[in-house]
Amino acid sequence: MDWMRTLLGRIRSVFRSRRLDADLDEELKAHIEFAIAENLEQGMSAEEARTSALRGFGGVTQIREAYRVQRGMPWLQMAARNIRIAIRQLRSSPGFAITAILTLALGIGATSAVFSIVDGVLLRPLRFANPSRLVTLGDQVSGGHMGENGDPGWVTAPEVVSYQGITRSFESLGGYTNVSYELSGIGQPFQIAAARMTPSVFSVLGVAPLMGRVFTPEEDTKKAQVAVLSYATWKTRFNANPQVIGTKIDLNQSPYIVVGVMPRNFEFPIDAGCELWVPMSFSAGELAPEAETNWDFLMVGRLKPSSTMAQAQDDAQRVAAQTMHDYPPDLSTVRIRPVVYPLHEITVMQARPLLQMLFLAVVVVLLIACVNLAGLLLVRAISRQRETAVRLALGASICTLLGQTILESLIISVSGGVLGIGLAAVAIAIGKDYLPANLPLTSQIALNWTVAVFALLLALVTGVLCGLAPGFAALRTNVNASLKNGVRRGSASGAHVRLRSALVVAEIAIALILLCASGLLMRSYLNMSHVDLGFQPDRVTTAAYALLQKGYPTQARVDAFNNQLLLRLSQLPGVQSVGLTSSLPTMNDCCMAFTADGFVNPRGPGWTPAAYSQVIGDFFTAMRVPLVRGRYFTDDDNANSQLVVIVNHEFAEHYWPNQNPIGKRMHIGPPKRRAPWMTVVGEVADVKVYVPDAGATAEFYQPAAQLDKDYGGPFSANDIFGSSEHVVVRSALPPEQMENSVRAVVRSIDPQLPLTQVQTMEQVVSQSEAPRRFNTIIVSSFGLAAVLLAVLGIYSVIAFSVASRIEEMAIRMALGSRRADIVRLILSSGLKLAAVGAFLGLAGATAASSVLRPFLFHVSPFDPLVIALTGMAVFALALAASALPAFRAASVDPMQALREQ
Amino acid sequence: MGEQKSDVLQGTLDLMVLKTLETMGPLHGYGIARRIEQVSGNALTLSQGTIYPALLRLEQRGWIRSEWGTSEMNRRAKFYSLTRIGRKKIEDETENWERVSATMARILAPGS
Repeated sequence: MDWMRTLLGRIRSVFRSRRLDADLDEELKAHIEFAIAENLEQGMSAEEARTSALRGFGGVTQIREAYRVQRGMPWLQMAARNIRIAIRQLRSSPGFAITAILTLALGIGATSAVFSIVDGVLLRPLRFANPSRLVTLGDQVSGGHMGENGDPGWVTAPEVVSYQGITRSFESLGGYTNVSYELSGIGQPFQIAAARMTPSVFSVLGVAPLMGRVFTPEEDTKKAQVAVLSYATWKTRFNANPQVIGTKIDLNQSPYIVVGVMPRNFEFPIDAGCELWVPMSFSAGELAPEAETNWDFLMVGRLKPSSTMAQAQDDAQRVAAQTMHDYPPDLSTVRIRPVVYPLHEITVMQARPLLQMLFLAVVVVLLIACVNLAGLLLVRAISRQRETAVRLALGASICTLLGQTILESLIISVSGGVLGIGLAAVAIAIGKDYLPANLPLTSQIALNWTVAVFALLLALVTGVLCGLAPGFAALRTNVNASLKNGVRRGSASGAHVRLRSALVVAEIAIALILLCASGLLMRSYLNMSHVDLGFQPDRVTTAAYALLQKGYPTQARVDAFNNQLLLRLSQLPGVQSVGLTSSLPTMNDCCMAFTADGFVNPRGPGWTPAAYSQVIGDFFTAMRVPLVRGRYFTDDDNANSQLVVIVNHEFAEHYWPNQNPIGKRMHIGPPKRRAPWMTVVGEVADVKVYVPDAGATAEFYQPAAQLDKDYGGPFSANDIFGSSEHVVVRSALPPEQMENSVRAVVRSIDPQLPLTQVQTMEQVVSQSEAPRRFNTIIVSSFGLAAVLLAVLGIYSVIAFSVASRIEEMAIRMALGSRRADIVRLILSSGLKLAAVGAFLGLAGATAASSVLRPFLFHVSPFDPLVIALTGMAVFALALAASALPAFRAASVDPMQALREQ
Repeated sequence: MGEQKSDVLQGTLDLMVLKTLETMGPLHGYGIARRIEQVSGNALTLSQGTIYPALLRLEQRGWIRSEWGTSEMNRRAKFYSLTRIGRKKIEDETENWERVSATMARILAPGS
C-alpha cells in the first residue's frame, strides 16, 4: 500500500514541480535561519554563525538533487528531456529527418497495407459463431475432380436429406445452393443473386437475425414462400424500411413474404453476394431417383465440440455406403467418398500462396528501407564522432549514448510509422477496388486495430534495430584519436566503412532477388498474353442481356427477340458476322456431365464433365474459331431436325482418341439418364474456357434451338431457353464504335431492355488475365522500389567515402594521377560492392525459387534470360550510382582541396 | 579522538525521525535534525540536509504529514507530525530494528 501512495505522490508532483521547488527553497532557507539563530545565541559572530550553519547542513545542491530524485519520476523526466534534445537535433538537419521519415513511412505503410490484406483474408476468423467448428461436407465422385484442390465437394438433393441425419459428430448440418431470381414488386424488376437454404444452415452458422426471424423446418417442408433479406438489400432496395417484415415481393413472378433481415456483415455463401435467402423446399423432381446424379448442392455443418473431422468423415462414409447400396444397377459402378474440410481453410486455400508471396515481397522492401536508414544514421554518427568523443571523455556511459542513439532512431521510426499508417489507409481505400476478383473474403480487409498495432510494433522494432548501427559507431569511438585528430569532421574508420559496405551489399542482394522475381513474373505474363486463345478477339464487340419473364413469358417471344436481334445486327454497316452464346470464352464457369458413346473412363466409371455452351447464329464465324473437321451449325439445325453437337479438339482427343469424331454420338447426363443422342457434326479448335494460362478444357456446343430436345425432359413448359445470352458481333469497324450501334439496335427492338457488360472481346480477355496482372504489377512495383532504394544506398555510400577521402584524392592528383584514374578507382569500388551483392542475390534467388514456382507460366525459375538481364541491370545501376561521386571527385581542384583540409 | 562519525542507514534515519516526532510532537525540519543530534549525544554526525529527503519519503508513504505554520520566532516554516499509520509503523519498525540488531550481536559475539 505504501508503494502505491508513493507512486501516486510521485506522479502528482511531476505536474507541480515549480511550486514544490519554491516550497523547498523556503523550507531550506528557514532551516539555515534557525541554525544561524541558534549559533548566534551560543555566542558566535554573525560570520561564524552563518558558516557553521551551512557546514552543518551539508551540500545544498546535492540535497536539492536528492530531494528531486525522491520526489518526481526521474527516469521519466530524463527520458522526456532526451526526447526533446533528439527532436531538436533532428530539426537542425531537416533534409536527413525528412528523408529518413519518408523512407520508413513508405516501407511501413506498404507492409501494413499488405498485412491488412493478409489479416482480413487469412488471419481473421469468419464472422459466424465459433467459426473454428464450421466445416464443409461434400462428395468426391470417382472419375471426376470434385472435392479436390479447393473444391469442397458437392452433394445431391437426396444426400442433403440423408447427410442431415448424422447426429453423432455434427451438431447440425445444412444444405444450400446458389440461384438467381428476378425480383419484382418493389420498383424496377432486377435480376439478383440468392440462395436456397435448409433452415438448419442458420443454426449451423449461429447468427441471429437483426429483425424478424429465419424460416422454420415446417416452412421448408410445406414449401412456404418466405424470404430473409440481407442487410445490404434491406438498406438499398427497401430503403431500410423498419416495417419491412411482412412485405410481399415477387421472385420469378411468384409471391414471397419477407419474414426477416440478417445483420450487417452476414454473408453466406461466402463471396457469393446473396441478396436474400429462401427455404430449400426440394421439389418432387429434385428428390426423384433420376436426380441421384445431380451434384448441384453444397453443405455446411458445425462439428460437436468433442468431434474431429475424421470422425465426421467416417460418419458420412457410413451414410454414403448406404446411398451406394441403394443405387440402381445403372449406377452400381459409381463410387462416392465424402470429404470434410474446415470452412475457412477451404475458402482461402487457393489464395494463401499468393498472399504469402506478396507479404514476403513487401517485407523485402521494408528491409531495404531499414538498411538505408541504418546507413544514414551511421553516417550521421560518424560526422558527430568528435562530439561523442568529448562526451565519453566527460564521463558519459556507453549505455547512455546507446540509449540516445536508439531514442533518436525511435523518434524517426515512430513518426514514420504513424505516417505509414496514414499511407496504408489511403492505399487500402483506393486499392480495394483493384484487388483480383478471385481473392476471397475481400470484404474483411480494412485498416483496423490489428493492422495499426502491427505497424507501430514494426516501427518500434525497426527503430531499435536501425539505432544499433550508430550505437555501434559510438562504441568503437577511440576517444584519444578523435580528440587529437585535426580533422573538423569525423572520418570513417575501417570498421565503419566495412559496416556500411556490408549493409549496401545486403541491400543489393535483396533487391536483386526481388528484381529477378519481377522479371520472371513479367515473362510469365507476356507468355500468357501470347497464348493461342483458340479464337480472335480483335474487332469483336460483346454485350449481355437477360429477358425477364414479365416481358417474355413464352419460348416463342424469346426466340422472336433473338431472331430479330440477329437480323438487325447483321444489317448494320460494317458487320461481318453475329452470334449469340450462353457463355463467353475466358468467362465460362459451368460444367455439365455427359456420356460419350464408346468411351470407357480409365479412372473407373463415374462422372465425366465438360464445359459447354449453347449458341445461336454465326457464333463460330464471329469469333473466328477455326474448324478442324466437319461443319459449323446452320439454320437447318433446329428443333425438328437431327440433334447435333460440335465438340472441340480436346474433347475429341480425350474421348475418341485417334478417331474421327464426326458421326460419333454423345448425350447429356450420365448413362442412366438416357437423354437423346446427339451426333457430332463438327470439331473446332480449343477455345480458352477459363483463363488463358490454364490448359485446354474439353468443351461441347449445342444449338440453342435443340436444347429442349437435348435434355429430353423432365422440363415443364415454363422452362425457357435462350433468354440470357451474350451477343458477339464481328465488324470491320473498330469495336468501340460498334458498342453504340449495338445498344441502338437493342433499344429499337425493346426500349426497356437493359444491355449490360457492353465491351470489346479484348476487354473480356483482359479481365480474365486480371489476377495474374495484379500479381505481376504488385511484385514488380515492389521490385522497382527495392532497386531504387538500393541504388540510393550505393550512391550514399560511395558519395560519403569519396567525401571523406578528398584529401587522399587531392594528394593522388597532385602526385600525378590523371582524372580518369580517379574515376576508375571510385567506379571500381562501386562495382565491387555490386559484384558481391549480385553473387549473394543470385544465391538467394535460387533459394527463393520454390516460393515463386506456382506463379510462373511457361518459365523456369532459373530462366537464363531473366537472370542475365537482372545481373546486368544491377551492374549498370551500380555504375550509374557511382558515376556522380566519381566525376565530382575527379573535378576537384587538388590545391584548393588540400588548402581546405 | 573526537566523536565517532558513522554513516546513518536510510531506514534507521526514518525510525529516528518517527521516534522524534512521537516524543516531541509536531516539529519543523531543523528541530528534528537538532533533536536527533542532541539525543545521540553528538555521536552521530549527519549532514542536517539529509533529513529532508527522508522527510519527503516518509510523507510520500503517508507516515507523516506536513503543514505550513509559524515558528517561535515568527518565521514561516513547514511542520511535520505523525499520522495514525505512522504511529503504528513505529512499533513495527522498532521490532524490526531490535531483531536485526540482536542477530547482528549474536553473529559478532566472540566465540560464535
